[in-house]
Amino acid sequence: MHQKLRIATSILLIVLATVWFARQSQSIDFEQLEQIAAKRYGNEALQAVHSWRIALENTGKKENEQLKAVNTFFNQQILFEDDKVIWGQSDYWATPLEILWKGSADCEDFAIAKYVSLKALGIAPEKLRLTYVKARIGGPSSDFFQAHMVLAYYANPNDEPMILDNLITDIRPASRRQDLIPIFSFNAEGLWVAGAGPSPQASGTSRLSRWKDVLERMKADGYQ
Amino acid sequence: MSLVRQLWLAIALITATIFAGAFMVSMLSASSYLEQELQRKNIDNANSLALSMSQQTKDEVTVELQVAALFDSGHYQSITVYAPDKSVLIERIQERSDAKVPEWFVHLFPIQSIPGQAQITDGWKQFGTIVLISHNRFAHQALWQQAWSMLMWFTVIGVLSGFIGMLALRAIKRPLAAVVDQAKAISERRFLTITEPKTPELKSVVRAMNDMVSRVKNMFADEARRLDLLQQQINFDSVTGLGNRDYFMGRTREILSSEKSAPTGVLLLLRLTDLAELNTQLGHAETDQLLKVIGNAFNKLTENAPERLSARLKGADFALLAPSVENAASLAQQLSEFLASATQPQEGTELDLFHIGAVPYNRGDQLGNLLTAADQALAIAENKGANSWHAEANSHFQIASGNDDWRELLTNALANARLKLVMYPVNNNHGELLHQEGMVRLQAKPEGDWLSAGDFMPMAARLELTGPIDLSVVQHALLQLKAHPGQLAINLAAETIADWKFRNDLSTLLRNNHDLCSRLWFEVGEYGAIKQYEAFRDLCATLKQLGCKVGIEHFGHHLHGVQKLSDLGLDYFKLDASLVRNIDQNTGNQNLIKGLCRMAHSIGTIVIAVGIKNQSEQETLLELGIDGLTGPAISKSNR
Repeated sequence: MHQKLRIATSILLIVLATVWFARQSQSIDFEQLEQIAAKRYGNEALQAVHSWRIALENTGKKENEQLKAVNTFFNQQILFEDDKVIWGQSDYWATPLEILWKGSADCEDFAIAKYVSLKALGIAPEKLRLTYVKARIGGPSSDFFQAHMVLAYYANPNDEPMILDNLITDIRPASRRQDLIPIFSFNAEGLWVAGAGPSPQASGTSRLSRWKDVLERMKADGYQ
Repeated sequence: MSLVRQLWLAIALITATIFAGAFMVSMLSASSYLEQELQRKNIDNANSLALSMSQQTKDEVTVELQVAALFDSGHYQSITVYAPDKSVLIERIQERSDAKVPEWFVHLFPIQSIPGQAQITDGWKQFGTIVLISHNRFAHQALWQQAWSMLMWFTVIGVLSGFIGMLALRAIKRPLAAVVDQAKAISERRFLTITEPKTPELKSVVRAMNDMVSRVKNMFADEARRLDLLQQQINFDSVTGLGNRDYFMGRTREILSSEKSAPTGVLLLLRLTDLAELNTQLGHAETDQLLKVIGNAFNKLTENAPERLSARLKGADFALLAPSVENAASLAQQLSEFLASATQPQEGTELDLFHIGAVPYNRGDQLGNLLTAADQALAIAENKGANSWHAEANSHFQIASGNDDWRELLTNALANARLKLVMYPVNNNHGELLHQEGMVRLQAKPEGDWLSAGDFMPMAARLELTGPIDLSVVQHALLQLKAHPGQLAINLAAETIADWKFRNDLSTLLRNNHDLCSRLWFEVGEYGAIKQYEAFRDLCATLKQLGCKVGIEHFGHHLHGVQKLSDLGLDYFKLDASLVRNIDQNTGNQNLIKGLCRMAHSIGTIVIAVGIKNQSEQETLLELGIDGLTGPAISKSNR
């Protein structure tokens, strides 16, 4: 009886500890990610992941610096390409590992990779929004628009956001991005259950959405 | 609880458990599915609303209208719009729902409506957050309906499986019932074998029981055969197969004194003229052959009349006792003719072989006097010449002369209930009263003498009136049992049991007095029971079913036939009085009775000794294993 009780208690402790650590670490398990990269995609992918790791490790504590570092890293490292060219299908939301392996990505893949990186650096997810925008291509007088996605950063809920875009290299406030017309935005909370971690039911629900799909794949690869 | 009921209970329990299990699993999975669906709906709707609101102007009226439009047209518990600073901008709440689901069900299977959330933007600026909750009562309604339809299906399936179970149980029960019946029969000492069922478990049980039954039957049969042989050695002459002197004397004394035997009869003696001379003339083998021929002639005279008795008293002397025969002369002549045709093959060479003397007797005559009279008749015959006979005429008192007279007397007596039972006690081997034997007495004429069974039963048998008489006896016995405590045994005539109408009337009568049956003992003569075996078996079954006890009286003379009585479940054997007479001095019969007791006990039947005259006989019998005792000595001691 006591034996059983002790075993049950130990199991409970282990579970609690696992949950606690899991909720504490918003970071990415780079060890695992590197292993997977090497095993699945080979040395080049491993190098790319490693450089991502270095980039994140070398950023400062200020959120401005972190934004800049992440934005710069992906905009320089990854080539902007259409999903059709990269993946052979019209709309594929790739994980950071996949874009690092391919070396190219579509707009939403940039946004996702930046979102994941910033979250790993400790920026609160409430401050980050994946935003669908209408982008005017070819200067202020152009009337050619393209569907696009950027990552918006709100230092405070009522503030003007900073836009992390792969079309331009630097981060600008929204008022300086006349070429972008915001349509709709979402963050992790909107699709994940607000506040609570994903319950089994919730994962069943969210599997349908692209956003959740990519989150799931990332999770399997070792992101938190 | 019976096995079948236990199986029923098991089936019901298993079905109920399966139902409960399946019900719970199904309810839980359905409620979890519904919860998922609800959440999916919440998220999707929140997103749609947020998307549409993001495109619109954000004045208060527009925002409120959009929320109201969705809320009023849909199934929502609440839609709330929060400002970025978490303050509530708009809220719509609907607690009431028209779904009809009992509260306990909602508590038993809770379905959480997990809120959906989406962001509303106003250009680059955050406008707010939508939190949308669909009403879970509709999910509960669906679950409730599913519970009902499941319940209905399970009821249908339950009834169906119950029906199938019933068929299966019936298939199991049928061979089981046969086994149970056999076991019951064995406990009632009816040793039946049944066909082995197909079920392996039951098969081995039935096989074991069948083995046991046949072993008991074989044991009984072997014992009966052995005792038959023993009796042949003790009581019968080895050359002629007729009874010996002791046997004849014993039974004749019994017949002369028993109230059950006929009131009159004839004693016939045959003497070979000179046996020693014959031996020298013919040689030993030829002489034995001649003796056998004479024995056959005697057997011919007794073969259809079980009450008659024949014996070879000593070397040259033969005897025949014929109760109920009135004409001594015709009997003597009959025998003489048989012998003449059988022993005089060559013409003209008439041997002086035998003489016959015959005398009538009345019940109550002394055996010695009777033998003397027969001897005198023999002497007269010897004077008449070779192979001649002499018979004394009848001179005894007669109650009635012809059949018609008798019929009138008996039917009158029955109609006027001039019939009674006289009780004789039968004790068990501890000296306690086992039952009373009720002997019938009939008053032939009003105010006349009470006749005993032997006086009128032979005539009644000839007139086929034993049935009504026996039925009347049973009625008297039932009255007696109603009025007095204790057990009562009565006799049934051999002729009666063969009478189908009597058996029918008897069973109706007993059924109407069912409560008295267990105190009523029926006994039938050994010869009659064996001769009318089929009828006796039916009677046994009827009587035993009603709870009556059934036994055999005058037991011990036809042991070669008693084997088939072994599976009737008989309760008692009453030994013939001739076997019991002088038992303290007759070692041959002691062995026989000991064997009979052992044989009877092997099938659980008790043995009662009849006609015990004194203490010494009683003690000897108890040592031999007798279970019950009756006779003058017992009546005296009980009084």
